[in-house]
This record gives sequence, structure tokens and C-alpha cells, in this order.
Amino acid sequence: MKTILAFREEEFAWSHEVFSCVHPLLLPLCNKPFIEFLIDFAILVGSTAVRILCDGGINPIERYCEDGSRWGIALSYGSLHGDDTAETLLGKNRKFCGEERIMIVSGFSFIRYDKRLNYKSLAGSLPEGEWAACPGGSITLSGAPEKPPADGAATPLSLMPLDGMASYYRASMEALETGADRYVLPGYGGEPGCAIGRNVVISKSAQIRKPVSIGNNVQLLGDTIIGPSAIIGSNVIIDRESSVESSIVLDNTYIGEQLEVIGRIASGNRLNDPRSGASISMEDPHLLGSIKKSQTLSALPRKVAHALAALVMISVLAVPFLFLWPLLKLGGRWRSAQIDCHSENPGETISLGKVELDATNALGATASTLSLDRYFRLFRVLTAELALIGSTPLPAEEPHPNAPANALAYRPGVFSYAEAEQWPATGGDAAIVERYHLVHSGPISDIGLVVKAFVNRPHEKSSA
Amino acid sequence: MIITETSANGIVIVALEGNLDALSAPKLRGSPPVADPKTTVVLDLEKVGFMDSSGLGAIVGAAREKSDPACGIVLSCMNDKVRRTFETTNAQRLFHIFDDTAAAVDFAATRQIART
Amino acid sequence: MSSIITLTLPGDPLFTEVARQTTTSVASLLTGENHSASDETQFVHDFELAVSEAFTNSVKYAGEHDTPPTVTLTFELEKQRLTVSLLDANSPFSIDTPAPDIESYPENGYGLWIIRRVMDSVTYRREGNSNIISMSKTL
Repeated sequence: MKTILAFREEEFAWSHEVFSCVHPLLLPLCNKPFIEFLIDFAILVGSTAVRILCDGGINPIERYCEDGSRWGIALSYGSLHGDDTAETLLGKNRKFCGEERIMIVSGFSFIRYDKRLNYKSLAGSLPEGEWAACPGGSITLSGAPEKPPADGAATPLSLMPLDGMASYYRASMEALETGADRYVLPGYGGEPGCAIGRNVVISKSAQIRKPVSIGNNVQLLGDTIIGPSAIIGSNVIIDRESSVESSIVLDNTYIGEQLEVIGRIASGNRLNDPRSGASISMEDPHLLGSIKKSQTLSALPRKVAHALAALVMISVLAVPFLFLWPLLKLGGRWRSAQIDCHSENPGETISLGKVELDATNALGATASTLSLDRYFRLFRVLTAELALIGSTPLPAEEPHPNAPANALAYRPGVFSYAEAEQWPATGGDAAIVERYHLVHSGPISDIGLVVKAFVNRPHEKSSA
Repeated sequence: MIITETSANGIVIVALEGNLDALSAPKLRGSPPVADPKTTVVLDLEKVGFMDSSGLGAIVGAAREKSDPACGIVLSCMNDKVRRTFETTNAQRLFHIFDDTAAAVDFAATRQIART
Repeated sequence: MSSIITLTLPGDPLFTEVARQTTTSVASLLTGENHSASDETQFVHDFELAVSEAFTNSVKYAGEHDTPPTVTLTFELEKQRLTVSLLDANSPFSIDTPAPDIESYPENGYGLWIIRRVMDSVTYRREGNSNIISMSKTL
């Protein structure tokens, strides 16, 4: 038994517009990518090999699914024409099909099935032809049946077309509410109706009401209420006193303080209403919430505290620096270049020295552990061009994150908040952490985070 | 690049072996069955180790000059590497692609009969 | 710390294969740790394609020269990132070509667009009488 999954780009074109960050076939339904549900069903039916066909690019799918060894099947990829019929597809994939029974799943539709039931023998005994259908989708069987038709109750199988946000919302909620009984869903949970991923930090005062599914690297801060019927993706922060009910929060989203998200789909900087299809786009790429603008009044104590701490660091590190720097420079292990980076104010750039340290010998390793590659930047804190700790400095070629409406997205620092946390400092994760601390951190906690960053940097390097 | 021509069912099968790039593209373009607008060709790409836009351009250019542009050149046995190059430029939309040369020949033969 | 490899080839289509093979060998040096096999093959293949396109362009637009044209490839290897630069003595060009119209499917003019699509970043600069196109990708 083998399965062909056939998709046409026009079927999921709507998804590109609404959920632009993820390929439609990898769209998560209850924290599990769409394509995995189909692969699960193919395996349930007894397939040893699956081929994914599409008339457009499927590179992201290939990179995610690879060769299928993760599921114990042989996964391959190919292309099709929009007007290919099931018969043509069988012809175009003749070598793949061989003499076996083939199940063709066509269309961007959600398959409603129950993993506890025996689809394998049913698939083997049904006559050739259509098994299930819906507008825009179908499941067809080809090749002679392997066994005689079985008696007994019909095994439920139906298709729900995913033709817009509303059906996506319904399908996700269905998967959540029927829970791990019918589908294989990710997450660990002591009790049914509550699946939680890895590295999830839940504040003591946060409440979770079933059914709920939470992804990886999620922070639920104080007095938040999650659920009932909440799907939270990965790399999400739900800030204090907010509640998420009957809603989906997709990956890499930050929900601000004191917000009520009810019956919505939140994705990055977009808030969508699945019933009406309305969508609001926030200017700020991460925040969903109100942030009080940083007044120059509160900026001054911070700048003073940073400058004082920088002065302390300069004096303490002066001795090792003056000793190691000439030695490393002469030995060719200290390479520096100037790069232009954005300053805190849009439209201005500052020229920063970027230092590459060769940490392979003892001298270089010591210099690296003491973060001496950042030594020159400490002086810029005294002139208030840089903060002591803030966002990672962005090269001037990239667009400035401080959109006019929100001045709190970016403050370049010698160290970055992302380095203070244990999270890997990759793109989306780092941005969310930095954004959060920019809002919440005061001068005193900044000093604490500087110490953390200082200590963490050598650890990160050795594990990177 | 080595070009081998055979035929089956009245359809010419052109099998390529090696790299299809700026160096070898003219050779493909100039080979008689490929260049002749009236001949339907099945291009067997199984042994193509590498293909870049010059090679792709040769295939597309040749297809366009056929009297039946949609089926003048039918492709078969595309490996993953060549397939990804096709997908980078969305060229897979222009051709019928088969994973088995015999199936491609059958398809081409049926289309040819339908035309005449 | 990064390593630098330089290779100068005659500007003739015959040597495109040499450029490609060197590129795949160099790109393969970065693979092997903590990456999925498909990411790695994709990485190597993307460079093979990009360098093939860039080298072919250099050869194609060589024009008139007193001495036989050459193309110099420079590979800069960092821990997770490879940067390949091609230097030739042709007339200046722009890397900001518009995307070719896929529907009408022109036979030529795809080179730069493909390079920009498969690489993370592509830059161009003119130094003296030479063009230098640099492309880099992080694994």
C-alpha cells in the first residue's frame, strides 16, 4: 500500500496571505503541522511509502519531512500539473506505484479520522474508486482490492476543506477537543486535555483550564488565564494578567499585558477573527498590547546606572585587557573590522568595531571568557551611544525595528538580553526575549542581567 | 555530456548522461530530434548529475519550438537535485514529468495519436 | 576564525565543472555537525548551482580582452557560514535585475535571479577594473 498526497497551489493560496510566515502545508493544527496529520493517516492505512506532489515549490516541506525516516516510511517528492487527473498522476508516478494499491489524497483538506480504528483492512478491501470527498478534496483508491469486502459498521472517515480562516479555526479546535484520542498530538500531559511542550515556564499564579495545547519555549507570566480551548504555539510569551480563551496563538508571538484574547487567531503582529475574516495588523512586529513609551525621565537613571556599571567593568577588566590585547594582536588572533549599526534613534547609525577572537589557545580563551572582545564598546556606554545591555546591534543594511509608532523595539547594547537568557540566540527567540526585557527591565535588574550575560557568553560559545 | 537516442512506439527517447550546463546545452539543442519541431521527444534525465539555468534554458527553448509546446518534450526520471533546480525557477509547471520512461513514452504516444 | 581558499581559472566554459567541484568540496567541509542530512545536501547543492551560474555569466560576458580572461574564486569559510566571491575583469553590471517573467519563460537571464534566490545574501562591488560578486549562506 502506498499513498500519494497531491496539492494544487490555488487550494491553499489564502493561507499565504493570512499566515505568511509558514508554508500552508506546514500550517500547525493544534501544534502539529498539517502535513503530519496526512502522513499519520497514510501510515494508519498501512502505507510503506508516501509521495508528496504539488504544482508549486515544496522546498520547506522537503526540509521538514526529509526522507520520512522519522515516521518509518519512504518519503519522496514530485510535481504535478493543475489539470492532472488521478489517472494521469498514477501514470506520472508509475515507478513509485508499482503493482501496489494506491491511496490518492487530493486537496487541502483536513481528514477526520480516529486512530483507534482499523483503516488498514478497510483500505485493503474497498473497491477501486472514491472513498471520501468534500468540496475541493478527495480520497481515492486504485488498484484491485486485496481482500473481499468486510462486513461490519462503516468506519468513519470524512474530509473538511480548509478553505479559509474559519475552517482552519474549526479544524484546530476539533483536533484539540477530541484530543489525543483520535489523533497523535504533540506535547506531554499528565492528564487528557492538557498537552505541554518542552521548556515551558508557568508562573505560580497562572491558571490553565482544559483543553489546552502548549508548544515549546513558552512563558506564561503571572495571573494569566489560558483556556479553555486555547492552542499556544512555540516561542510565545503571554504577559501578565492576560487571558487566552477559545483562541489560537501561533509561533513567535508576544501577547502583552492585561489583554483578553477570545475567539481569535493571533500570529506575530496580526490578530484575526476567524468568523468574520477580519484581520488587524499591528505596526510593531511582535507586540500585541499597549506599552507605555519610555519617557526621557526614566531613561536618565538607566543611562546613569549603565554608565557607572560600564566604568566599573572598564576598570576591573583594564588589567587583563592591557596584558592580553597587545599579545593577541601581535599573534594575529585579534581581528577587528568596523561595521555600521543602527543606533537607538531611527535614521542614525553608529560605527562599531567588530572583534573576532581566536579562542583556541590559552590567551585567546581567557580573553574570550572575560568578554574582552567587547571591551572597546564599553567606552561607548559612557558617551550614551550604547546601552550596557540591550538588543543585539543590527547592521545598518537591515530595516530599523523602531517603527514610528513604537519606540521601544530596539536599544543596541554591548551585551544583549538574549545572551543573558539560556535560550539559543536565534532570530525569533532572541527578538522576543529582547523585546520583553526592554519593556520590563529597570536599571537595577539590567545590572543583574549584565552579570548573567557575562557569565553565559563563554558557556554559549563552548556549546555552539 | 553523452546523448543517446532510441525510440519506442514511434516516440524518440533522448537519454542524457553527465552535466547539462552552458558547455553541453548547445549540443542538446542541436541534436536532430530535439531540434525538429515535429518530433515528440521523451527526455530521460536519469543520469543527469547537474543542471543549471543554461541547461534548463535549452530544454525550455527546445520545447517552445515544438509544434505542440505543451507536450513536445516530455521529461522522465528526474532526480532530486535536478527537480530542485526546476522548482527554484518554477519550470516544473511547463512540463509533464514522469518517474518512469516507459510511462512517459505511453503518454507521448497517446497524445500524438490524439493530434493526428 | 575563517579560512580562505583562492582559485583562479581560465574564463572558459570547459572549467565550469572545476569551479563546481571545488565549490562542493569546500561547502562539504562545513557540514557534519548537528545538521540534518537534507539541510546539508541542500546547502552544498545551492552553492554548486550559484557558482555555476556566476561562473557561466563571467565567461559569457567576457567581451574583448587583450589577455585571455580569467575568473578568480575566493572561498571564505567560517564555522557555519561560507562566502564565495567571483572576480572577473568584465564591464560592470548590476545584481538588481528584475525577476524574469516566469510565465513567458525566457530562455536566458536567470543566472542572477537564481543566485539571489538560493543564497542568503549577495553583494556586488567594483574595484578598479574588476567586478566582484560575493554570495554567502549560513548553515
